[in-house]
Amino acid sequence: MFGALRSIDGPAPDALLEVAADFTPRFELHVPDEVVLDLAGLERLFGGPHTIGEELSRARAERQLRLRVAIAGTYTAARLLARAESQEDIVVVEAGAEAIVLAPLPIDLLMVIENAEPAPSHSRTFAPSHLVVSTFRRWGIRTLGELAALPVDGVAARMGVRGTRWQRLARGEDPRPLRPEVPKERFEQALDLEWPIDGLEPLSFVLGRLLEPLTAHLERRGRGAAVLHVRLHLVTRTIHERSLQLPAPMRDVRTFRTLLLLDLESHPPSAAIDRVVVAVDPTPARIVQFSLLTRPIPSPEQLSTLTARLAALMGEDRCGSPVVVDSWQPGVFAMKPFNPGSGIGDQGSARTPDAQCPRSALRRFRIPVPARVRMEHDKPQHVTIDRAAAHLGSRIPDPGSPIPGSPIPGSHLGGCVQACAGPWRTSGHWWTDVSVPRLLLGTPRAGSRGVARSRCEEWDRDEWDVTLSDGATYRIFRERAMHAWFVDGSYD
Amino acid sequence: MAKSALAAIEAALRARKLDSTLTTARPVLETTAAPSAVERLDRCLRGGVPRGQLSEIVGPRSSGRTTLLLQLLAAATRRDEIAAIVDTFDCLDVASAASAGVELDRLMWIRGHSSPASLVDRSIERALKALNLVLQAGGFGVVAIDFADAPLAALNRIPFTTWLRIQRTIEGSDTACILVGPRPLARSAGGVTLSLTGCPQWHGVGDRSRRLTGFELVVRVISPRRRTGGEVAISAMSFES
Repeated sequence: MFGALRSIDGPAPDALLEVAADFTPRFELHVPDEVVLDLAGLERLFGGPHTIGEELSRARAERQLRLRVAIAGTYTAARLLARAESQEDIVVVEAGAEAIVLAPLPIDLLMVIENAEPAPSHSRTFAPSHLVVSTFRRWGIRTLGELAALPVDGVAARMGVRGTRWQRLARGEDPRPLRPEVPKERFEQALDLEWPIDGLEPLSFVLGRLLEPLTAHLERRGRGAAVLHVRLHLVTRTIHERSLQLPAPMRDVRTFRTLLLLDLESHPPSAAIDRVVVAVDPTPARIVQFSLLTRPIPSPEQLSTLTARLAALMGEDRCGSPVVVDSWQPGVFAMKPFNPGSGIGDQGSARTPDAQCPRSALRRFRIPVPARVRMEHDKPQHVTIDRAAAHLGSRIPDPGSPIPGSPIPGSHLGGCVQACAGPWRTSGHWWTDVSVPRLLLGTPRAGSRGVARSRCEEWDRDEWDVTLSDGATYRIFRERAMHAWFVDGSYD
Repeated sequence: MAKSALAAIEAALRARKLDSTLTTARPVLETTAAPSAVERLDRCLRGGVPRGQLSEIVGPRSSGRTTLLLQLLAAATRRDEIAAIVDTFDCLDVASAASAGVELDRLMWIRGHSSPASLVDRSIERALKALNLVLQAGGFGVVAIDFADAPLAALNRIPFTTWLRIQRTIEGSDTACILVGPRPLARSAGGVTLSLTGCPQWHGVGDRSRRLTGFELVVRVISPRRRTGGEVAISAMSFES
């Protein structure tokens, strides 16, 4: 037994759902002004269909709604009756009598029912409902009873699958089972603390207590967490809120707690906490197909914990996978979160080198090291580099100023140039307006798709490869605008 | 007398489970290895850099330490392993790594800071902590820590027990831990030390046609317990060629 409630005053989905939820958990909102209820089993609670109808009417009156109520054996019949023009606000049809009651109703009602249903994938080429109705009208069909009385074979031959479907609807038969609305579940746990807590250690216990039922709830529903939110209500009446984007759906209490604590370590609340709320954005759980043939890699839980620990230790943007940037700018790179399971083969090496002949590597000073270069016959003859700067990079001095050297004797690297090659002039990004200092290839900035890349800056320089008398080979360059020499890196 | 004293020391080390530091008391190790994909070097290393051990790549500047390290990382990532590099002073050149054949998606890059000289010790300490975290997480085929540009004085201040602790962390695991530095620091008995010297190769005579084509590397393998050793010469092409 099904009931249909239709709002006479137009769309009122919330009010309709409220009334429906008072009677049964199984209801479906078909269109914004109509909800269908599964009334099976309510006889034991209220009585027969007429009593249920009266109860629905009472609920309607309590909420001061203008509703039309129809109860029938099928939900299609109930819907058609709820839409039919009638003097009565409550229509109850005994089971089995649907076709007889529906017979005098106009065929136009089927249009509303048909339009509310999503079209099957194979029916994309079907004509719109009003054309079907006009076809039936040309045949002289005016009521549902007349349509139901037509021979099925003839309708199928002329109208195809859709024609027989309309005919079944006209008899009050359901095209599919009822699809009850699934209530939107909130995956959230909160705890009001008796005494405000200050510090992360007591908070870890509270988080553990909140996360355990939350993960159990996720597990019961076959869900994982995509984003983890924590809201800390502070004694200062402010809310400290943090959200953690998880690399993969997960529901491990220890991982959650560790990630939250590490994040709160970096972003501590400003005052004591008197209420803790933990919520997650659910997502379908991860299904992992293990393989005997490939090497296992750490789980996303382990990797995210490791990444969070490393970020807390080294800095937010100091850990990830490097990404090559399609640019001629020296030393430019990007970083993205380390996620070896997701993008295998997305970005491999630039080329497959001959393994027997490795490629030499450059150790790049992220901040170019100032150098003093003596030129003779347009070739570098002697290079002096500050030892401390060569180890760690240093600030760029003003042009012409002496190298910031250490007072310790012998604190300079470099020597006579034994061999050199160059110069190779490169320049770029001179067309962009640069307000930041040049040469500083600083911290990559976050960009789209989680990839952070270093700044694009203007450069214009002459590069040399030099082997010095100290045995090391460097890449040095002369910044043309500043007329200053720098060491870009050392070959190693 | 000397023999009995030696036996007593060995017994004491065994009692404290420190006998892995002995070079002679235990049989030759037969561990799995992480190959470098350079045939001559792998033959000399009996398959590659030993897993579950701390190995070192040492040498002066421009001796090819980074070249060899990237080669090992490239070989590991091509085997579908994941690798990590703790880049203490943020010196990794991404273009060089890509050119060496490293599958960058499988490389975890932990970047240190180009900090002032006064904070070198702090950078080294952080890098060691990061290395510990990565090793404890497990699952990595090759994990490297780069101290190539660290001042010797700062490296000498690292307590020797640090290396012992790292060795104990990876013992029995599938991870090959590699330390890159200017000179041997850990001297692990179970690992290998690859001591490098490099010679730049120039091509062309004229000023304009001359260019750096690569390096001739000589790798001297030192391994106290694995009974491997010898010298291998490797040619490394310029990463831009």
